[in-house]
Amino acid sequence: MIDIRAIKSSKLFAITATYGALSLTLYVLLYLFEDSFLALASNGGWFFLVPVATAFVFSFVHGNFTAHFWDMLGIKAKK
Amino acid sequence: MEFATNFIDLNALDVTYLLVVGFIGGLVSGFIGSGGAFVLTPAMMSMGVPGIIAVASNICHKFPKSLVGAIKRAKYGQVDVKLGLVVGVSAEAGVLYGAHIQESIKAAFGDAGSNLYVSAAFVIVLGIVGTYVLLDAVRMHRTGHAGDEKVAKLALWVQSIHIPGTMVYFKSLNAKVSVLFTIPLGFATGMLAATIAVGGFIGVPGMHYVLGAPSLMSSATELVVAFVMGVGGTIKYAWSGLVDIRLAMIILAGSLFGIQLGAIGTTYVKPHMIKLVMGTIMVLVLLSRAIVIPVYLADLDLIDKLEPHLVSGLKNVSFVVLIAALATGASIIFAALWKGIAAHRIELATAQAEAPVAVAVAAPSRPQLSPIGRFERFLVTSDGSEYSAGAVRVSLRMAQKCGARVRVISIVAGGNAELYAMGEQLLARELDTARAHLNEVQHEAATLGVACETEVVQAGDIHKEIVSQADKMNADLIIMGRRGRRGLARLMLGDVTAQVIGHAHCSVLVVPRAAELPGRHFIVASDGSRFGDAAAAAAGSLAKLCQTPITVVSTMLASHSEQRREEARQAVNRVTSFLKQENVAVEGRLLEGRPDELIVGTASDKQADLIVVGSHGRTGIERILLGSTTERVLNQSKSAVLVVRAA
Repeated sequence: MIDIRAIKSSKLFAITATYGALSLTLYVLLYLFEDSFLALASNGGWFFLVPVATAFVFSFVHGNFTAHFWDMLGIKAKK
Repeated sequence: MEFATNFIDLNALDVTYLLVVGFIGGLVSGFIGSGGAFVLTPAMMSMGVPGIIAVASNICHKFPKSLVGAIKRAKYGQVDVKLGLVVGVSAEAGVLYGAHIQESIKAAFGDAGSNLYVSAAFVIVLGIVGTYVLLDAVRMHRTGHAGDEKVAKLALWVQSIHIPGTMVYFKSLNAKVSVLFTIPLGFATGMLAATIAVGGFIGVPGMHYVLGAPSLMSSATELVVAFVMGVGGTIKYAWSGLVDIRLAMIILAGSLFGIQLGAIGTTYVKPHMIKLVMGTIMVLVLLSRAIVIPVYLADLDLIDKLEPHLVSGLKNVSFVVLIAALATGASIIFAALWKGIAAHRIELATAQAEAPVAVAVAAPSRPQLSPIGRFERFLVTSDGSEYSAGAVRVSLRMAQKCGARVRVISIVAGGNAELYAMGEQLLARELDTARAHLNEVQHEAATLGVACETEVVQAGDIHKEIVSQADKMNADLIIMGRRGRRGLARLMLGDVTAQVIGHAHCSVLVVPRAAELPGRHFIVASDGSRFGDAAAAAAGSLAKLCQTPITVVSTMLASHSEQRREEARQAVNRVTSFLKQENVAVEGRLLEGRPDELIVGTASDKQADLIVVGSHGRTGIERILLGSTTERVLNQSKSAVLVVRAA
């Protein structure tokens, strides 16, 4: 018999792991290219787009990871 | 590497510190919509980050955090995007003006003058607003109205003012309000944000007490305001190259874990918890700033100079109290979240244990927004007689299965001449008997693990009181007994049950005294109208919960044309197809004869324990003249009858 809950839970784990890996990659890249990235983001003028765009990208990837993370731990909103 | 703007080197300890503070700040922001970020600027400065970079990096983490929080809470239906954008845009103007005032004061009185201004803003705003919010939370808790928010008198007045050309409808208020009220509110929010870094301490109470939005929606909508202000602030600071993107992203890493958790927490708590957390934080932050006021007064030579060790001591104590404010707020949220999740799990486990094959039933993939198929809040009326015993028994069992909350009321005559004629002693005895009965009900509910509250209510007009009580608690279902009066006697005496069905804004379950509702078989009466569709939707929800088969009955008369027969056939097919899609075992029957007799007869054949019918909501003379199938079914049926109110 197919266990639907097991399928759902493994799918949730896969999504969480994917976003987690992407998020980790972003932070590793930030660490590796710390100096040059900081210089680019603090150039001023139209370079303001760098920190703004970075914030949007991180919030999307890391935001999805954290949402699925609590979901995976069973901490979900009350319906 | 050295930068012109003097960015600091980060070590593992700094990163851990920022992650933890970011997490706690995010938790608080997710819960009350704001207030999590104010500690981050001093926290970064304590690491050696220059003040202006700390402010810039804080605001750069704040807007993506608010965005994620706003999206999360929008999924729970708590965000009023329009109100958030309207307040947010005016808040942006407030930020610019607030910053201008700050600069002017700094130019005139130096750092000490600027600090004194900020501290005075803290003390005045947080002192007045914070104390009011906290006292309101305590009052709601003490009076037992923790989950029952009333619109403030000020908000009712604001909503009553009509200024042509300025009125905008906001869904959180369910009313139109002049933007001439929202603009100053947003402006004040922005000014406070520019002064003490947390505009939400005015924004959230303002939207709640001045405009009339529920506190949960105010706190969620504040995240939209914070996002708008945050984007503007980030652009301003990043244009000058002042954002330390590393600091912002590290704080964001922690705060996004926190904000998700805080947002989830709001679904488990009553509205007064939002106020309790916000009020507590505001009062503690106020204390933190009040502690350092003597330092700034001494700097301005308004009081005698202080000893250097006293100055540093006061500043340290102030910072510790600031951290404590955030930690206290986070602790209250954690405790509420923990308690709420534990209680909810017990409810679900109890419901699952009672449901015969609940494990095999897939949970609905989408939340039930329509009250038609939602069974979460029941209002049960009981007078302690044998006629209402069935209603109480069935309601508690059903609540166990649905994980619903139950409110049982017993209505004692009051509010009219009869009350006085009864005499005080007789009335007191009536009240005591009702209370004793409700205590027994509560005990039974506790044994079954059902969340139940009871109240003895005095009212003159019983059906109006029942409908009003149901409206107040947003009941999904009113459950009541049946007296068994029929025909002329019912018409003459007036039947409370029929009156309630006629006037209620939710569905009504009528339970004969001997009826049980184990979920053997349900009958749905469908006439192809939207009332019949509502009945089918509600029956489908219950059937999925109990794994109960359904028979859909549609009737026609011998005199009906072929076209009418075809319509009836299509109606049955449509309803059965819908229920099949919902994974409910269903069969359709197209029968010829009197509808009430056929429905009750089919229920008897199938040994059904529930008949589900739609309500046209007619009352009075119209109902009597037209004749109501629903009423005749109610009178004839030996099983429970669910009368579903179409939206």
